[in-house]
Amino acid sequence: MRKTNNVIKIKDFKVDKGLPFDQEYNFAYLDENTKKMIRRAIIKALCIPGYQVPFASREMPMPYGWGTGGVQVTASCLTKRDTLKIIDQGADDTTNAVSIRNFFKKTSNIKTTEITEKATLIQTRHRIPETPLKKKQIFVYQVPIPEPLAFLEPKVSETIKMHSLSEYGAMHVKLYEDISKNGHIETAYAYPVKTNDRYIMDPSPIPKFDNPKMNNSPAIQLFGAGREQRIYAIPPYTKVKSLDFEDYPFDPFKAEHACDICGSKNTYLDEIIVDDAGNKSFICSDTDFCNKRKNK
Amino acid sequence: MIIPLLKVTNLSKSYDNIVGCKNISMSLYPGEVLGIVGESGSGKTTLINCLSGNLEPDRGKIIFNINNKKTDFLNISESEKRKFIRTDLAFVHQNPRDGLRLNVSAGGNIGEKLMSVGYRHYGNIRSLATKWINKVEIDKSRIDDLPITFSGGMLQRLQIAKNLITSPNVIFMDEPTGGLDVSVQARVLDLIRSLVNELNLTVIIVSHDLAVIRLLADKMIVMKNGTVIESGLSDQVLEDPQQEYTQLLVSSVLHV
Repeated sequence: MRKTNNVIKIKDFKVDKGLPFDQEYNFAYLDENTKKMIRRAIIKALCIPGYQVPFASREMPMPYGWGTGGVQVTASCLTKRDTLKIIDQGADDTTNAVSIRNFFKKTSNIKTTEITEKATLIQTRHRIPETPLKKKQIFVYQVPIPEPLAFLEPKVSETIKMHSLSEYGAMHVKLYEDISKNGHIETAYAYPVKTNDRYIMDPSPIPKFDNPKMNNSPAIQLFGAGREQRIYAIPPYTKVKSLDFEDYPFDPFKAEHACDICGSKNTYLDEIIVDDAGNKSFICSDTDFCNKRKNK
Repeated sequence: MIIPLLKVTNLSKSYDNIVGCKNISMSLYPGEVLGIVGESGSGKTTLINCLSGNLEPDRGKIIFNINNKKTDFLNISESEKRKFIRTDLAFVHQNPRDGLRLNVSAGGNIGEKLMSVGYRHYGNIRSLATKWINKVEIDKSRIDDLPITFSGGMLQRLQIAKNLITSPNVIFMDEPTGGLDVSVQARVLDLIRSLVNELNLTVIIVSHDLAVIRLLADKMIVMKNGTVIESGLSDQVLEDPQQEYTQLLVSSVLHV
């Protein structure tokens, strides 16, 4: 690869594991102009909570659907002082988490961690950690479909109009359909929320169990959708309310079990089939939280 | 004196050089059913689309006067206009597939109208939807079925229920029985007529079928080449047409 002026040379570096740091890349892979463009979109998104800001999404060295949006947001926010944590379905050791963590190790040589409290920047796929997020943390979601109205209205020109005029009545149709089919609101993930009493937003496919954690969170929450070329955000201490009916209030469902490893009763659990006889085990999806509890 | 619910003055709309409708003036009073007839291409649909907010006319005035509140339809903001259309108007399409969401159950389709005007209580929405499903003679066991499993006549009745549930002040119907076979047409017309009588609806109905107009409309206007050539009480126009074109139209009805 040709060297440009933008390449940051870090002479003294250590690599603990994974791929070695590659100095040929610009810091965090993206070039500085792209980062500037993405930061502008992020700032606009933070000013209008829940509003989807279009941005010129770049081709990333990974397929769409693997977090290209989240990776671009992370790359644009990353500084050399940051400590990065990547989670995939709550776990630090699954394919998506490992490969994105290696990607940033290779291209930026920053510190990484699996411990939620120690991270300054966390990129996630499909979960919010059990350990509450805190001030000065940036939390980046990978988003496949940013448009919560897409289910009802396939025309983007029309959904933009519906957002700008707050025409959200039809949004409840999905919940109505759930109750009439199943007797309760079946939507278990990507459960739509209203941000700052204004924009209806898709919280990415996190379980609805995590929805209350977005409300009034001290951390900055950023959402990146690479294929759909949208960025949106929730600034710290912002009201985030899950949609519901007066007679069917929002219910952050979780499996009625305790974790088989750490015994936690109030965390989100994965259901795992453990043998050919169909026996099940329930364990925390947040591996960091579970390990800490187990070691106590 | 009764104030007209809808007053239209010199409404014109053209598509490039082709005239859609030209200098249309008319009034509609509460509880009245107005029929618009004319051959295809005469501007009926252009007119009804302008009145219902689907099209932006080039010139003219449309004033609604609902509950003593005047609305200058062409001079309000986009958000006010959409709110007005949502709460005060209804539009029954010729093809019910245009007015329904086919991937949403019958009850969801009817309920959407309620949710869009602010209903947030599932039980209330459900019971109103059930009531209206019954009212348009669809078995209430079908409430959770998808519209794609419905026959053409049922779809049209479902669309009518969806439009009437919020008691809109003016209902537009564009060839509501156009795509249906004759026996189903009769049933849908019968339903519309009984709803009009029962609920004292104000309706503008477009049709090229004079039988539909004779059955439903109190007043009618006849259009040709984008202009109104004759108007009056429907019995009067149909029994004693003055214009050559209207005479042709009336005499060309098949008597089987």
